[in-house]
Parts: sequence; C-alpha cells; structure tokens
Amino acid sequence: MSISSPVAFTNNPDELFVKKHVKYIQSLDTRKDEFEYWLTEHLRLNGVYWGLTALHLLNDPTALPRDETINFVKSCQHPSGGFGAHPDHDAHLLYTLSAIQILAMVDALDAVDTAATVTYVAGLQKPSGVFAGDEWGEEDTRFVYTGLQTLKILDRLDAVDVEKAVGFVLACQNYDGGFGVVPGAESHSGQIFTCLGVLSLTNSLDRLSTASRDQLAGWLAQRQLPNGGLNGRPEKLEDVCYSWWVLSSLAMLGKLHWIDQNKLVGWILSCQDEVRGGFADRKGNAVDVFHTVFALCGLSLVGWGGLKEVDPVYCMPVETTKRLFGSK
Amino acid sequence: MASYDSDDEVDYATDPAWAHITPLPQDDGENPLAQIAYHPDYVVAMSYLRGVMAINYHSAQVLKLTADIIGMNAAHYTVWGYRFKTLMALEASNGFNDEETSWSWRKELDWVQSIAKQYEKNYQIWHHRQLIINHLNDATGERERTNEMFASDSKNYHVWTYRQWLVKRFNLFDKEELDTMELLLKEDVRNNSAWNHRYFITLGRLGTDSPADGVINREIELAKVAISSAPQNPSPWNYLKAVLRKGNIGLASLKDFCEQFAPIDSEDEIKSSHALDILSEIYDETGNLGKAEQALVLLAAKYDPVRKNYWRYRKRLLGSNENVPTASEKTPIVHATA
Ligand SMILES: [Zn+2]
Repeated sequence: MSISSPVAFTNNPDELFVKKHVKYIQSLDTRKDEFEYWLTEHLRLNGVYWGLTALHLLNDPTALPRDETINFVKSCQHPSGGFGAHPDHDAHLLYTLSAIQILAMVDALDAVDTAATVTYVAGLQKPSGVFAGDEWGEEDTRFVYTGLQTLKILDRLDAVDVEKAVGFVLACQNYDGGFGVVPGAESHSGQIFTCLGVLSLTNSLDRLSTASRDQLAGWLAQRQLPNGGLNGRPEKLEDVCYSWWVLSSLAMLGKLHWIDQNKLVGWILSCQDEVRGGFADRKGNAVDVFHTVFALCGLSLVGWGGLKEVDPVYCMPVETTKRLFGSK
Repeated sequence: MASYDSDDEVDYATDPAWAHITPLPQDDGENPLAQIAYHPDYVVAMSYLRGVMAINYHSAQVLKLTADIIGMNAAHYTVWGYRFKTLMALEASNGFNDEETSWSWRKELDWVQSIAKQYEKNYQIWHHRQLIINHLNDATGERERTNEMFASDSKNYHVWTYRQWLVKRFNLFDKEELDTMELLLKEDVRNNSAWNHRYFITLGRLGTDSPADGVINREIELAKVAISSAPQNPSPWNYLKAVLRKGNIGLASLKDFCEQFAPIDSEDEIKSSHALDILSEIYDETGNLGKAEQALVLLAAKYDPVRKNYWRYRKRLLGSNENVPTASEKTPIVHATA
C-alpha cells in the first residue's frame, strides 16, 4: 500500500466527516490506483462488502450503483455455488459470505443460485465440525463463522451439523477466556469475534458459563490502552479495526460499558482523514476501506449520532438483519 | 528456460518455452466494478496462468510462473492452490527430485521460507508449508525454520499456529520445545504467544488427564519468577491462575505472593493491578469483604480506571455466591490431527 498524497489527520476529534467518507468510498470505484487496498482483485468482493456496509451505516446506501453491484456479485459465482473474490477467481468461503451479505443488504438474494451456495458451504464442513475455507483446505474458526452466517442468512442452518460446529468453537476457548483459530491457538480478538458470532447466531451463548463470559469480557476490556485505542492481543499495538472485533464481542456479551467509550471514540475519530475521507489503522498511516468500515462500525456500536445501527453478530446494518430475521 | 527458483525474468510472450501455452486475458465483462488497473507484468503472468490452468498443465515451468505471480501478489489464494497441485503432479511423474528441471521438495521449502520472510503477514504461505510437510511426513528442520521466523517477529500468529500444528502432528511435546519457550520468554517475558504455547505443551494438551508429578509446581515457580521481573505483565498472571486451576490448588495459596506486589494498606507500594485483582478474590473467598472492596475501589479509582465499570461490577458480586469471573472449568481438548 502506498499513499499518493499526505493524509490530513483531523484536529477535530469531536467531528465525524460523514460526507468525506461517502466520497472516499465512492472514489474507490473509479480510482485506478493499483496499490489501493480494496482494488486488489484477490479482495475485491470483500472490498465491495466493506464499502457498501460503510455506506449503509453512513445513511447513504445508494451511493454505490445497485444494479452494477448485483451484476458484479453474480459474475463472481461459480458453478459450484460458491463465490470468488473476482470473476476469474476460485470460490472461497470468505468471498461467499461477502457476496451473500451484499445481496442481503440490497435485498436481492434471489439474483443468484442460493441453493447451489448452500450445497457449496455444506460441502466444506469437516467431521470435526470445523469448516475449510475452500477446497485447498485451510481450516479455522473464521470459516466456521463465515459458513454458518452464510447459511443463516439463507435460512438453511439445517444443511450442516450445527452442534458439531459449536463444539469445535467451544474447544477453541483458552485458559484466559479468549478464543483462537484452532484448539490451543492463542486468544485473539478477531477470533473471539468469530467464535462469539457462531455462538450468538446459533443461540448457544449460554454454553459458556456466566463466569467464563465475564472472564472473557474482562480480557476484552483489557484490550483498551491508556490512549483509548484497542489492541487485538496483550502487548500489541492499538488498531482501528479492533474497534470492531473487540467492541462487537463486548456487545454480544452485553458488556460494552466495561471500556471507556468516550476515550475510544476520541481515538477512532483521530484516525480519519478530514480532507480525503476514510480511516487509517492508526493516526499517521494511509487510509483504506477495511479500516474505514470497522471504524464506523465501532462508532455505531457505541451509539454515535447520525450513524445507522450495526448488528454486532452479522456486521450488517440492523435494518438488514431485522428484515432477514425479524426483530430480535 | 529459467530454472524455477531463479530470479531471472521471463518474458512469457516471447520465450519459446512458453509458446505452447495460449494466454487467456481476464474477462471483466462490461462491469466497471470489476475493472482494475494492474501492472502490465502482472497482467501477462496472470493470463499465462489462466492458460495453464485451462489445460491443467503441470511442469517445473509452472513453479516459475506461480513464483513470479506470488512475488507480485502473495495473497492470491488461487495461485498457491495451483502451485501445490503442480508440486504433487511433479512428484507423481518425476519423484521427489528431478535433476533435469532441478526441482525438489527441499528447494520448494527453502523458497517458501524466503517468501515467508518477505511477507510476514501472509497466511497462505504457512498453509502451503503445512500441506507439504504433512505430505512428506517429515518435520526435520521445521522447528528451526519457525525459530528463524520468531527471531524477527516472536508474536507472528501464523507462525505460532503452524508451530502448534507441527507439535501436534509430529508429537513434539518434548524438552526441546520446553527449552525453546523458556528461551523466548527469557528474551521477552511479555510474549503472550510463548506463554500460550507453553501452556499448550505442558498442560493444555492433557484434556482431563492429570499432569505428571512436579509439573504443576515447576510451572508455578516459572510464572512467579516471571511475575517478579515484571509485575504488571498480564501474561504470567493468567498463566499462573490457569496452572493453579489445573492442579486444583486454591487461589488463597497466592496471598503472600500477591501482597508483595500489592500491599493494600500502603498504596504507594502497589506495583501490580493484577495482584490487586487476585487479592480481591482471595479476600472475598476468605470472608474479608472490607479488604476485598478496598482492592476493587483502588483498581477502579487509581490502578485501572479505564475499566472502572468492570471493577464496579466485581464489587457488586462481592459476598454473593456468584462466581467471580474466572476461567471456564473446561480445558480445551487438543485434537490429534491426522
Ligand atoms: Zn487493522
């Protein structure tokens, strides 16, 4: 990643530059900077999902053209039912979830062959309950989450062994209360989000004892550093994307108030570029769409005025998840 | 023809060795969302890869081509997958080594290591390595290679995940592994990844089995020494509590140890919020509610004010029969992987 012009980090940590952020995301569609993060093809479908989610939260859901978006998603579907990051790419669970989320947000799930998608996802579950990301075979808790969320949106959780998937996730809990990618792997906020997401969307959060949930929420709250930012693991640097992984996890546990929200908001806002729009991972670095959407999601979770509410389990607007699943 | 692991540049369009492959350009259709401006070298190499994949062609040439593309975009998962298929096809037709095309598994592993050092955040590399080592069923030298990676980033999550896979797959729960963790912790006592791995090899793998004689005490001592050198470091405190739970030893046994770092009646000498935290639990358990509350008030007001709502919550639990936040009773089961 490179930056062509210097980033103008805000000196107004009380203001969210909504219009600038909308413009920034729209510009990604037309800018042909080959180093730009979301334009790299191996992430393209994710990039569209990140941008679209951000626009929904910013109250400007039609800022990306709907028909083109749907056509692009359609062009990424394989005969197998899964989706690749880009029309010429192999199918992978990460992009399959993004595709289904995009279609869910623009209310166009009938534009693709979802029955084939269900078959594709179900085929990636392994006997241990875990999911592989693709036929190449990487297996970890991220893919359990992406697989199950895809099926949940399509109302086809019955197509896989949910109990085994939940069992695999529970086996990934560590002595400090957190979760890692596979059993025994170090606790990491990103993996905690995916594991709590699995437990939430399968209504299994009560499989963790109250004491264990409290311990986990305490560990998550410890991710806040004196400057207000959040890190992903002990002794690591703070990063805007953890405003999502940590906060959504705390939200699922009902403990958002265990961190200092004012300090966090000030810190997130200090990472925006007030001239070009967009957020960086931390002040001083280049902005990208990934950190932009997760900054906005974090602000939304702590109730920043003017932003649409985000659903901590699905990382989509609550408006969308209500339409899909009814009111919670 | 350039040997597959050389840095020589190949001009795919003019090199006679590539004349039998028909390049397939990317089809973006008319959709502007799909259009991306790439470096011309990347466009050419990708069109040759599409050509190769279309006819399911596998040869040492493909190793050069995929290496070129990975050098330009290491996160391209399709390329990694096709490279592995090619390696398997080469082995099936030429065996583990082929002098003529100069490919071998050893060379592949060396190449992977050099790429891993260049792209430390990439995880496809480690999955590729895992597929190879699993296939070869031989872990010789692999721990040394991960140690090399730890030398530049001792907390690299992908490398640690690979290391755990290696230990499980080849049953390397041995002294060398313990010694390596001791060394890493000596270099950086705050390395949470190394603490986690130490637990994995000492106690975590046991499931519901009991640890061997002396292991619990050895690990308690190790954690205590680490805490004494940096009392505000959360990792060994978490480790210590986990070891006690595994050994069915009550927290109260830590009272004197914790009071060293958090004498609550002499506030100025308090050096560790974690010690204060455990003391509040110990005081609560032993019915000394006044002191337990004092510890939590100090945490909320002075030693960890960012989390004051958490400490207030803990205060409300005092004296109740509700469990103080503590680890799950369940110990993670380590699955043996084939
Ligand atoms: Zn980040």
